[in-house]
Amino acid sequence: MAHEQLTYEDLLRIVELIKSTEHFSEFRLKVGDIELELRRRRAGGTPVPALPWSVVHGVEAQPVADQATSARPCAQWPEDGIVIRSPMIGTFYRAPAPGAAAFVEVGQTVEPDTTVCIIEVMKLMNSIPADAHGTVMQVLVEDGATIEQAQPLIVLQPIRTA
Amino acid sequence: MNPRDKVAKRFDFIDVTLRDAHQCLWSTRMTTAMMTPILGAIDRAGYAYINILGGAVFDVCVRYLQENPWERIGLLCDHLDTPCDALTRAQSLYTFELFPDDIVTLNSHALARRGIKVLTVYDALNDNRNIESSLRSGHEAGMKVNAMMTYTLSPVHTDAYYVERTRELVALAADFISIKDPTGLLTPERGRTLFPAVVLAAGGIPLQLHSHCQSALAPEVYEIAIKSGFRFGYTATEPLANGASLPATEDIVARARRLGFDTSINDDVLAEVASYFHWVSVREGKPRGAVATYSADLYEHQIPGGMISNLRSQLDTMKLAHRLPEILKEVARVRHDLGYPILVSPFAQYIVTQATINVVQGERYKTIPDEVRKYARGYYGRLAAQPSDEFLERANIDPTEYVTEAPAAHLAPAIPRLRAELGSAATDEDLLLAAFYDRKLIEPLRNPASECRFRTTPLTELVGFLAARSDIDYARVRFAGTDMTLST
Repeated sequence: MAHEQLTYEDLLRIVELIKSTEHFSEFRLKVGDIELELRRRRAGGTPVPALPWSVVHGVEAQPVADQATSARPCAQWPEDGIVIRSPMIGTFYRAPAPGAAAFVEVGQTVEPDTTVCIIEVMKLMNSIPADAHGTVMQVLVEDGATIEQAQPLIVLQPIRTA
Repeated sequence: MNPRDKVAKRFDFIDVTLRDAHQCLWSTRMTTAMMTPILGAIDRAGYAYINILGGAVFDVCVRYLQENPWERIGLLCDHLDTPCDALTRAQSLYTFELFPDDIVTLNSHALARRGIKVLTVYDALNDNRNIESSLRSGHEAGMKVNAMMTYTLSPVHTDAYYVERTRELVALAADFISIKDPTGLLTPERGRTLFPAVVLAAGGIPLQLHSHCQSALAPEVYEIAIKSGFRFGYTATEPLANGASLPATEDIVARARRLGFDTSINDDVLAEVASYFHWVSVREGKPRGAVATYSADLYEHQIPGGMISNLRSQLDTMKLAHRLPEILKEVARVRHDLGYPILVSPFAQYIVTQATINVVQGERYKTIPDEVRKYARGYYGRLAAQPSDEFLERANIDPTEYVTEAPAAHLAPAIPRLRAELGSAATDEDLLLAAFYDRKLIEPLRNPASECRFRTTPLTELVGFLAARSDIDYARVRFAGTDMTLST
C-alpha cells in the first residue's frame, strides 16, 4: 500500500480488515504510508440498543394481530346470501378513484356485470363483477384494506328472475 | 463501395452506469449524491453519450428517493460536457399510463431546457404511432431523437418484422435507431441475420445496441453488432455490469479494438470510475454485477432480471415464493395467449400479474386485470399477434370496445386543466409532475436537496466510513502528512 495516494483498492482492503475484526476492541494498522488506530466500545460496556426479542413480540406484534382480527368482524349472512370473494391477496377499493362515489352501496341492485369493487394486485387494478343478480346486503371490508385470497368482500341477497 | 470503408472504423459507447445499470442491479436506488463525486471522471472517459434518465429513474426519484428528478437532470447535464441522453417510454413517458400529445411535447421541451441532447424513446408494443409525438417534439426542442425497437423472441417477431419497423423509423426521420433487448435474449446466431438486415434498412442512420447480460451472451452479440456496422453500444462500468445489467464497457472496448475499431475510451479513466463504484457498492451494501450462467428457461418466460428480483420480493410478501417455478411457466403461456407482448415495462408487469393470478386462483383468466383487458382491446397500441381463443373467450370483450386509432387520438389535451388547477405561477416542470403523480408524492420534492460533493478521495471516504460507525469511539488516521483524530 505504499503509494503517493491512497487508492480505492487500499480503502477496500482496509475496510474489509476493520469489518472482519469487529470483536476486538483495539485495531492498529500500519502499511506503507498509512497508519490507522481505532478503539471500539467494549462489548457489554454500553447497553445493546436493540430491543429484546420478548419486548418486540409483546409490544409491537400485539396491536397488529388485534387489527387483523378487528378488520374481519364475525360477519354473518343468511345461508342463501351470495358472497363475493377476493381472487387474490391485494388491496380493496370501493370506488374508482379517491373521493369518488362507491361502486355500490348497501341496498343497491346489481347485475352480473356490475363492478362492485376494485382489487389492486401487484400494482394492477382488477374490476370485480357481481357475477350474479342481487341486492347488496353487506360490504365487509373497509376501503383501502389489505385483503387475503378468497376473503369475503361483499354479500348479495339473490334476486331470482322467473 | 461501402461508405464505411473510406473512414477509419469506429465504434462508440453510451454509458448507462447512472441509469440502467443501477436500475437492474440496485433497484434504481442510486442517489444523485452517489453520482456527483465521479462525474468528472465519467465525463473524461470518452463516452459519446451518457444516458442519465429512464422511466424507472424518474419514478424512483419521486416515489422512493424524494429527489426532484428535474433537479437531478439539470445538475447532471450541467456537470457533464459529454452530451446527455434521456430515455422515455414514449406516450407513457415515465409511468405505465398513456399521456396526451400536449404532455409528451411539454416534457420534450422541459428535458431540452435542462440540457438533454438526445431523447431516446421506445414503445413497448413497437407501435411506432406511439413515438411520433416524441420524435416531432424532440426535434422541435432541438434534441436528436434515438428510436428504439424492442427485441423479443416469438413466431411473429421475425427479421422481416424488425426490418418493417426500421423502415417506419426511417420515414419518421429518427437520428439514431436502436435495438433494445431488455431480457438479453439475442444470440450471436440471430444477430448475424437480424443486424445486417436492420443496418441495410436503416439506410445510413446510425444504429445502437442495448442488450442485457442475463443469458451471458451479450458480449458476443455486441461483437456481431460491431462487425455488422452498428455505430454505438450501451455499456456500464464493470462493477455495475453483467448479470441483469448491460455488458462492461471495459469488455466491449477490448473486443472492438481486437476487431480493428477505434474507440475514444480512456482505459485509465474507466479504471478510476470502476474503482469508485466498487467502493460505493461496498459502502452502500449494494450488489455488484456477476457474469450470469446460461439458462434455457430464460427463453421461455423472458422476464427481465430486474423484474425477477422484484417478483420474488412481491411473492415473498404474499407468502407465495414457493410457487415461483409454476408462475414462471404460466408467464410463458400467458405471453403466448396475449399475442406475444414484450416483457418490458409496462407489459412485463401485466403478464406477470396475470400469470400469478391464474396460478393462485387455480383457474386461468377467471380474473383479468383491467390493464390486460385494455391491452387486448388495442388501447395501448397494435398487438403483435391475435390473442388466443381461450383468453378472448374469458375476456369477453365487446366488439365495439376495440380501438384501432392511434392511442393518443383518444386522449384529450391535459395542459389546460392542469394550468387551471395549478395556477399561472406553476412551471412546466410542476405541471408535468402534477400530470404524472398525486399531490402527496410531489410535496416532499420541495424539500431542499441533500448536499452533493463533486469530488472525493479514498482518504476522504475512509474518514467518512469511520465517522459513520457507531461502534468506534476513537480513531486516528495518519497518511502522507495528514494526521487526524476522531474521538467521541
